[in-house]
Amino acid sequence: MTANDAVSLELNSGQILALLGENGAGKSTLMKILAGLTQPDQGTIEIQGVDVVIRSPNQSRQLGIGMVQQHFALFDGLSVLDNIALGLPKIARSELRERAMQLATTYGFQLDLDDTVFSLSAGEKQRIEIVRTLLSEPKILILDEPTSVLTPQEADQLFDAIRRLADRGHGIIFISHKLDEVARLCDSAVILRRGRVVGTCDPRGGAQSEMAAMMLGSQLPDRTQRGTRTLGAPQLVIHDAQSTQGDAAIKSLTLHAGEILGIAGVAGNGQDALFALLSGESSMTQERALKWLDQPVGGLDPNARRSQLGWAFVPEERLGHGAVPHLSLTENALLTNLADPTFASNRLIHWSHVTQTAESIATQFDVRHAGLHRQARSLSGGNLQKFVVGRELIKNPTLLIINQPTWGVDMGAARHIRDAINTLAEAGGSVIVISQDLDELFELCDTLCVINHGTLSPPRLIDDWTLVELGLAMGGQTTETIS
Amino acid sequence: MIRLIRRADVTAIHSLISIAVAAVLTLVISTIVLFLTAKAPVDALMQLLTYPYQGGTVIVQWSKALNMAAYLGVIGLGLSICYRANVWNIGAEGQFAMGGIGAFGTWLLLGSPTAWWAIPCLIMGGAFAGLLWASIPALLKTQANTNELLTSLMLVYVAAQTLFFVSNGPWQAPVRYSPSQTVFLPESVQLNAIIPGVPTFHMGLPIALGLFIVIALVVLYTPFGYRLKVTETTPRAARFAGYSPRVTVWAVFLLSGAMAGAMGAIYLMGDIGYVTEESNFLRGFGFSAIVVAFLGRLHPVGILLAALLLGYVAGGASWIQANLREDDSIAGFIEVIALMSTLASALFLQYRVQWRGFATQPQENR
Repeated sequence: MTANDAVSLELNSGQILALLGENGAGKSTLMKILAGLTQPDQGTIEIQGVDVVIRSPNQSRQLGIGMVQQHFALFDGLSVLDNIALGLPKIARSELRERAMQLATTYGFQLDLDDTVFSLSAGEKQRIEIVRTLLSEPKILILDEPTSVLTPQEADQLFDAIRRLADRGHGIIFISHKLDEVARLCDSAVILRRGRVVGTCDPRGGAQSEMAAMMLGSQLPDRTQRGTRTLGAPQLVIHDAQSTQGDAAIKSLTLHAGEILGIAGVAGNGQDALFALLSGESSMTQERALKWLDQPVGGLDPNARRSQLGWAFVPEERLGHGAVPHLSLTENALLTNLADPTFASNRLIHWSHVTQTAESIATQFDVRHAGLHRQARSLSGGNLQKFVVGRELIKNPTLLIINQPTWGVDMGAARHIRDAINTLAEAGGSVIVISQDLDELFELCDTLCVINHGTLSPPRLIDDWTLVELGLAMGGQTTETIS
Repeated sequence: MIRLIRRADVTAIHSLISIAVAAVLTLVISTIVLFLTAKAPVDALMQLLTYPYQGGTVIVQWSKALNMAAYLGVIGLGLSICYRANVWNIGAEGQFAMGGIGAFGTWLLLGSPTAWWAIPCLIMGGAFAGLLWASIPALLKTQANTNELLTSLMLVYVAAQTLFFVSNGPWQAPVRYSPSQTVFLPESVQLNAIIPGVPTFHMGLPIALGLFIVIALVVLYTPFGYRLKVTETTPRAARFAGYSPRVTVWAVFLLSGAMAGAMGAIYLMGDIGYVTEESNFLRGFGFSAIVVAFLGRLHPVGILLAALLLGYVAGGASWIQANLREDDSIAGFIEVIALMSTLASALFLQYRVQWRGFATQPQENR
């Protein structure tokens, strides 16, 4: 596995460069190299024409690279000034105060140096981090997903400050996967995918769909090796479904027996909320909006959907959602079978049956483990994913809803999981695959729709999508015109 | 710099080591404190540890410890169920008090019977009263999203005032009794001593033990226990498994309230015999049981051991107070030290410590 494969990029002073990519595209590894936390196997780094080798975070700072992390490292009980002082070599308090004030006014940060940190908002805390970083006078400032914790107003203020920094000659690297922000702020963008630079572009002036397409794949994957399936009768019919919290909505969707429906979309567009709506973890406004074999089922909880309808769910988060980290594999085999009387009655758990099931899951899905009594968190990500997927597939569900089936999983395990999904569909089961990996979706799916800001586009046969249309839909630009 | 690294897998051996560490810590710190505060530290420590064999009647001293342990164990087990479901019921003291009042009220409602069958009725009446009292914070939490930590605690004071009210108001005994108390329950409706001459070793203790075992089996082996295990660390997985958080809140509050209430009834019938004001009725079982629950790591076996330990220490403290004129607040102190040591050693159960030397600079460990 190569996290960064011959990545090149160039940053001029005064430039705001976006580094775009999905989770796992290699953004973090690249930044770790610049911060001196990881050493590259090959390649060079030049700063102002001088070849440098960055061996440690300290050296990185001395070379003029400043990084603002996504997660704050602040002491809640200390004042703003104390927090700023902590990250720096010793200088006199009065001098530090003066310099911090000067920076804050220059870049338009409102910051009271005597406030205690716990009373501040996320935006204010981030300003402390930025001021602290700026005090070491970096030439290059790296911001890692800085808007993820900010309100839109705070983000606007941050963008103003970033522009001022660029005007004063700082080079800025802005890491994000929010396309609209990149389009508003940056003057060039480098797109990473699977550790490689797949494209560069000028994000200003509506290149969002172009960027989305590049993030997800430079061309539509080859589908010739995949046979066409004949679909069965309609099973699941959704019409105007909405979650009570209002974070997910499906206008209209029909799923047939034997159909694999893909849901594509850029990360953070409401995939989790959509999953919760379908699994019954979040409630929906109308019970009739969700129909299974002509029966309204929108009011059923996850267990009723499992036991009465034969559905099965695999969430994106393996540990903490799909499995309980500190419980054993055997105990985790019970998690989604609680409504099945062969596993547990009201009074008793039938452990022999649970253990047998756990053993079958492990053998059939090739889960490498050091004993079924070991805690789920002791397994590697790929093995645990095989276990969690296997737990659902072994039940031969009528409908499988699976979010990010192969995220962070090695090639072999991914192959195994995709084959199992295909086998289920060929046997007449219906599948909904939510994924950010277009290759995966094109390999598996018969039909495809796109999620953008929590709303699902109408599905289309997968061969009817073009790359341009997909990009447009994922960038959220003209959902109406393509529907 | 010291670094904490999360263990991939926590095994039984890690558990045992951390308990041993906690025990040693408690012993060392308590000894130091005793040496700093006691008039005759060596004697005090000696007698504190071995008080049943220091000249009193052995069986009487042991039964005092067991008596206390019974209340702490059952109430603590009930509370542990709440805490494992991330429901912070700290109002067991109030539920216990209402259990006493409920049992006495049941006796009055039944027409002040003197027959033996009143005993199970009173225990159930007490359990029901505790359950009702616990349903108030449950209702407020599920309907209005109120913080149960505050409501359950505040209701302790309301329950204490209720004790004052009934024993000075409607149920106040005739003048020949001492003021502010109800009449005594008849002998036949009290839980009598099993061994003659040892009043603290009464029929309530085996009843409490039976209750403890039943609930412990429920927690360890039933689907309800599995629900607690899942909810304890991963509420999100609990929802995924189909558990309704609302139902969980109700279930744990009602169960723990009923357990504390039943113990209130047993206390009324076995130890005191009448309802009276807070200062004479409540002995802080409901609060010490919180310590017991955490000291036992929220596990039934641990809770049983913790209850026995604290019961024993409390007996020892009152012994050294009576015989050596030492301050018995050492019991409360040991309770707190034991809790702190357990919590601290629990950290090392989850994490292992790595010493990285002084060489690296603090900034890099951010």
